[in-house]
Formats: sequence, C-alpha cells, structure tokens
Amino acid sequence: MVDRYRSKALELPDPEHKIDRVDLAFYGVDHSSATYEARIFIGAPRSLKRDAGPDHPAYAGSFYVFGHDRCYGEEGHCKVPEKRDPFDLRLPHHLEPTTEIVTVTAAIERLLADGKRKAVVDVIARDSEGKASRALDFTQLRLLTYR
Amino acid sequence: MSVAPAISGRRASVSLRHRRSARRLSKGQLTDLRKAVTKTQRIGDDRGYQYWAGVHGLPNPQSCRHGDELFLPWHRAYLYFFEKALQDQVAGVTLPWWDWRDHSEALPAAYARARTAEGKANPLYSSPIQPSGRRQPNERRTWREPGDVDWLPSANQVTQVRANRDYFTFQNQLESLHNGVHGYAGGTMGAVATSAYDPIFWAHHCMIDRIWYLWQLDHPGARLPARYLDLALPPFPMTVRDTLDVTALGYDYAAATAAVPGTGNG
Repeated sequence: MVDRYRSKALELPDPEHKIDRVDLAFYGVDHSSATYEARIFIGAPRSLKRDAGPDHPAYAGSFYVFGHDRCYGEEGHCKVPEKRDPFDLRLPHHLEPTTEIVTVTAAIERLLADGKRKAVVDVIARDSEGKASRALDFTQLRLLTYR
Repeated sequence: MSVAPAISGRRASVSLRHRRSARRLSKGQLTDLRKAVTKTQRIGDDRGYQYWAGVHGLPNPQSCRHGDELFLPWHRAYLYFFEKALQDQVAGVTLPWWDWRDHSEALPAAYARARTAEGKANPLYSSPIQPSGRRQPNERRTWREPGDVDWLPSANQVTQVRANRDYFTFQNQLESLHNGVHGYAGGTMGAVATSAYDPIFWAHHCMIDRIWYLWQLDHPGARLPARYLDLALPPFPMTVRDTLDVTALGYDYAAATAAVPGTGNG
C-alpha cells in the first residue's frame, strides 16, 4: 500500500475524433483499511506536491474509499478467497476489491487542446485532515474513451 | 436485459409518507423523530436501535454491501426496515435526508447540537454503542470529528453523477461521493464497523437514497439485467427488484405536495 502513485504514460484518445466522455477506471481497489480520498492529476510534472488540490491545473477529480478499518473477526475472516467455486451462490466476500470510475473528460480535453498525445496519471491519497494515507492499492488503471 | 419496474405507478399515493430535508423539519416532525429514536434506543431486542445499527457493522456479520453492485438496493432495504422500526414507536414518522451539498452549515442543526432547544439531551447528536458494536471497549458512545469540508460533495458533483445513463456507473460514482461524507464526519462514521450507530448515518443514507430516486426519475427507461434484479439482499427478505419502486415501499421524496378533493364520484 502506498500514499501516492505515478503511472507510466497513457496514450490519450485520438484528437481527430470528437469525445463524448472519458473515464479513468481503477480496478482491484483495496478497501480493507482506512477511509481516504484519492486525488487524481493527469499530465502533472514530476514535481507535483502532495498537498496539490482541485485548484491545480492538472487536477482531474477524486474518488473516496470508505475503509473497513481492520479485521474484527478471527484469523482468516478478512482474507478474500483467491478462487471462487462457480457453484458458490453466496454473496462476494466483504473485502472483494472494488472498482472506482472517475469521469475526466474536461481534463483530457484540456490536454488534447494543448497538443498532448500521452500523459501520466498521479494519484495522491490523503485522509480527511489532509495527511498522507498509505491505504492506496489497486491492480490496474485504464483510460476509457467514449464517442 | 429486462426493464426495471416502473416507479411511476404512484401506488397508494394518498397514504405515501414523505421523507423531508433534515434542515426543514417542522417542530412537530423533529419532535416525533427524536421521540421515535429515543424509544427504539430503549428496546434491547431486534426492534431496537442498537440491533438495527449492528446489522450494518459490528457485531459480525457486517451485512452491509459496499464496493459492489448491491450498494444502493441493500441500503434502500436497510432504511426501509429501520424506518418501519421507528414507525412502530411513533406512527407516521419518516427518516429525513441530510443535504450535504450545502457546505455553509455542514451538519444540520437538528443533529449538530448536543442539547435540544428545551435543554434535553439530543438523541440525534450521539448514540450509545452496545458492547458488541465497539471497536475498543471504551468506545461507549458515537463521536464525530468533522474534517475537510471539501470531502462533502458539491451540487455540481451530484449533477454530474446523476447525468450517468448507465445504472452501474451511476451507482459506482454515487458510492464514491457517499464515501467522502463518511470520511468528512469522521469518528464513528468514518468506519464501516461503527458508522450506523451515529444517528446522522440514517440521514446521510437517506440523501443517497433520494439521489438514486431522482436518478430513477431522470432515467425512466433504465434497463437492469434480470440476474441483477433477482439478487437477494440478506438479511432482508427482499430482492433488488423489490427495492426499485419507492412508492411500493410507502414513501416518496417530493419536496412539496398539494392536494384538493376530487369529484367525489370515484
């Protein structure tokens, strides 16, 4: 788990085509620990400060995770099963990783207008007092463009 | 794909109960709500406040659904059964909604003050936590620690989320806004295990439920997969399908209503 993340460069949508909507999808998001805000910046310089906020030109949006806090069961209670029997009709484990979808159309349109073809994504995790939160963990990030 | 049940049936419209803004409750409505909460706090069995708060979090099993596709219907069912428990104590009482889009007075006055205007302890300010519901043995009552007000969703953010045409994307983004409100309130509200013990929890989720209802009105043709509609919402004897029409559950969120007698021939 980390308190900030910087992606490899993502290819932006083709500027020749009109965009209806662009989403950033974070897959496999862990929610087993603290409650936190994940601030998302697209195309920010490497020097991006950790207290950067919505007034930063590269800010694209936030998602919020409602943390489970810690395990209140016995050993194994909060361990997500790695495999699931196809005949297991029970509801998913309570800590099954989730997906967060953040609509970032305006941010992508700004980058395209500036002639950018690729951009990195920075994610900064903070608690409600603005302190760094080492609760950020996800398996994949994808930029989804809709026309 | 199957068409979601219409919400325009307006069944039993005469007897529908209206959930109102927590900032606009009349004195009588607020008194009734406080009376209902106080009475349920005195009941130690499965009709009482502590039982219902515990269904969401501690003691295990923590039945609430977060981060998955059942977030909205599960919490609609949850509010419905808790509201019924309140109505068993004070007929006609309804849950109010906390409009957190108004950042000028973040917490509604009805919930923010430790004492009522009459000088009594305000049951909406804090609640006891049963021993099996505590994270630590000394966490005997709920507490709040409001943080950065920017964690409260803005009107613009809610409008953007409501504009989603796809139900699952709408639900996903609304849950994220919901998560920020839990984080803003902090303290007991900031963790899944204990959040429902705080009386503001119910007003927060009522707001989430209201936004879902408004989305349903915005998108009457929204289609949901049949396999989704038939999913159960344990421990409630309901499926997703059963939660879709709020008028069938006996409530509405209309901000104002006015009625006149009909022809008398009907």
